[in-house]
Amino acid sequence: MIEQLPIINLILLLTTALVIPLFKKQRFMVTLILSFVVLFIVWLSALYLLYHVNTTGAFYYRFGGYSPTIGLELLINPFSALFTFFVITLLMIIFIYSTADASDGIHEREYGRYYILMFILLFAMFGIIYTNDLFNTYVFMEILSITTCAIISIKRKKKNYAAAFRYVMLNEMGSLSYLFGVALLYMVTGYTNIELVFQGVQDVWVIYPTNIIIAAIFMIVGLGLKAAIFPLHIWLPDAHSAAPSSSSAILSAIVVKVYLIILVKVLFSVFGITIIEALHIPSLLMVIGAVGIVMGSFFAIAQHDIKRMLGYSSVAQIGYIVLGIGLASSLGLRIAFYHVFSHGIMKSVLFLSVGAVIYQRNLRKVTAYNGIGYMMPLSIGMFTLAALGMIGIPLTSGFISKFNLGIAALDGGQGIYIIILVVSGILNAIYYLPIIIAAFLRENPENQIYVSKDKVPLLMIMPILILGAFIVIIGVYPAIIFDLVDSAVSTFSF
Amino acid sequence: MNDIIVKSITRLVIPFLQLYGIYIILHGHISPGGGFSGGALIGSSLILYTLVFGVDRAQKKFSHRVSEIAESGGILLYLFVGALGIALTGNFLSNKAAGFPLGELGSLLSGGIIPVLMIGIGIKVASTMITLFHVLIQEESQ
Repeated sequence: MIEQLPIINLILLLTTALVIPLFKKQRFMVTLILSFVVLFIVWLSALYLLYHVNTTGAFYYRFGGYSPTIGLELLINPFSALFTFFVITLLMIIFIYSTADASDGIHEREYGRYYILMFILLFAMFGIIYTNDLFNTYVFMEILSITTCAIISIKRKKKNYAAAFRYVMLNEMGSLSYLFGVALLYMVTGYTNIELVFQGVQDVWVIYPTNIIIAAIFMIVGLGLKAAIFPLHIWLPDAHSAAPSSSSAILSAIVVKVYLIILVKVLFSVFGITIIEALHIPSLLMVIGAVGIVMGSFFAIAQHDIKRMLGYSSVAQIGYIVLGIGLASSLGLRIAFYHVFSHGIMKSVLFLSVGAVIYQRNLRKVTAYNGIGYMMPLSIGMFTLAALGMIGIPLTSGFISKFNLGIAALDGGQGIYIIILVVSGILNAIYYLPIIIAAFLRENPENQIYVSKDKVPLLMIMPILILGAFIVIIGVYPAIIFDLVDSAVSTFSF
Repeated sequence: MNDIIVKSITRLVIPFLQLYGIYIILHGHISPGGGFSGGALIGSSLILYTLVFGVDRAQKKFSHRVSEIAESGGILLYLFVGALGIALTGNFLSNKAAGFPLGELGSLLSGGIIPVLMIGIGIKVASTMITLFHVLIQEESQ
């Protein structure tokens, strides 16, 4: 029965997305309760799978019982179990927030539809992480990018349509270049199953190097476009700032990470460390990551809209993960995975607390935060905590990421990247600290800010507090995450 | 489009289009085509109806509510049949392994669950095509 759990998760998520439109529109409560119950069941099963694979080992799930040479296959190992658990946990907490903040620019008729999109999004992410097939990954990637496009444009404003159009065009290019890479690999190996392709690639690498090189370039550029790795990031700030607050958190904290997870799979499970080292991809990735860290922060300093600023900050943080992947060692990959968690939690807190400010006072300008810390102590307090984490102050998860990334870089003989880490810490401080100082230490000259709602509902504050607690918990006891991450890293061979 | 020739021809053609669509869906497992192409044929026959008789009359025949139910129902059928495989001690979408009769190769009643899956896909594709078309037309008129 345990081996059926992954497919049951997928069926449950898809079925919920299909059942929600059948409800009457007035019964919005039914949708919320059903969604929460389903999320909770999937969360339990993801938790159990995580426990199961870490104690008894990985297993495969074959659709229809066909052999992997002709059929589709899901692979549930510590890596995929860990990341599905991460996705569902974070999404469940953000879901609680979104139940109270559904009014953020979404038409009342569309409330239910928002959750349809959320479940399809979750379904696609689970599929991407579980699947052990390159073409199947592409199919789920398409579902994911179309759903994301719908989530960005759900507010029905001109700005959203422009952002969604740009998103869908660039992401379609990303998907197609990934598909082209898969086609080139299929041409020389005859399979799309990741393990069979891996064996095939090792065999034909000497005979058909052109195919392998072009496939690697297309797949990395395509996934880089979708994961907003630095020079290919231009769609991200618009898309993430235009979406409703809870979706910004989902897109920035989870969806972008899923593409990085595929990138890790492609680099280390499909091509393998020997080939990518021979092509010098790791050193390229490291340079791209380092440039992204610095430039993302520079762009963030120049922003006036706080959500756009957070978007550019995501570009910089993705640079850390790419830098970790580019070190191409188990230490580097370990810290890249840790930072996926750490950034996911911190960026959700930032987006959700800014969402609470927008909900109550409709403030989006960075300069308008004067004195707001005393009016909304909890939200701004958590914002401060997460911002300190982003800067890398000890006792937060951000510190652990930067510290260990520095150690991993030294270990790989790449000490120069420590300078980048220090510079980026200063740059992060330049754009986060003024907001915190203004919020707590500066008086508001007009002394009255437009207040649209009396107070922020408890359902919105609770998730922010829970996530804020996580920042400190995994910052003080990083071993909780590192134990799981280590067994995930051990599924890749170095 | 208020033209007697177009209207009469459309009335004549639509039943054949839909019949051909159903034929392609049902023969998906033994001949080229299948759920997607057959569903697209049925969907385009409904689009033809909308083009000729207007969106209001088409809405009476095939309203948003109906297409919502058909869209969800198509995939739910697929998922249900797939999940039968799990219940019958196989894997998801198990066909022969879960004990479904495969029948004689090449006959209409063969292939185990594949014809049923094709019907699910056909319903889904047809209703999605018509919903997309109606939504696009109605947004323009708003």
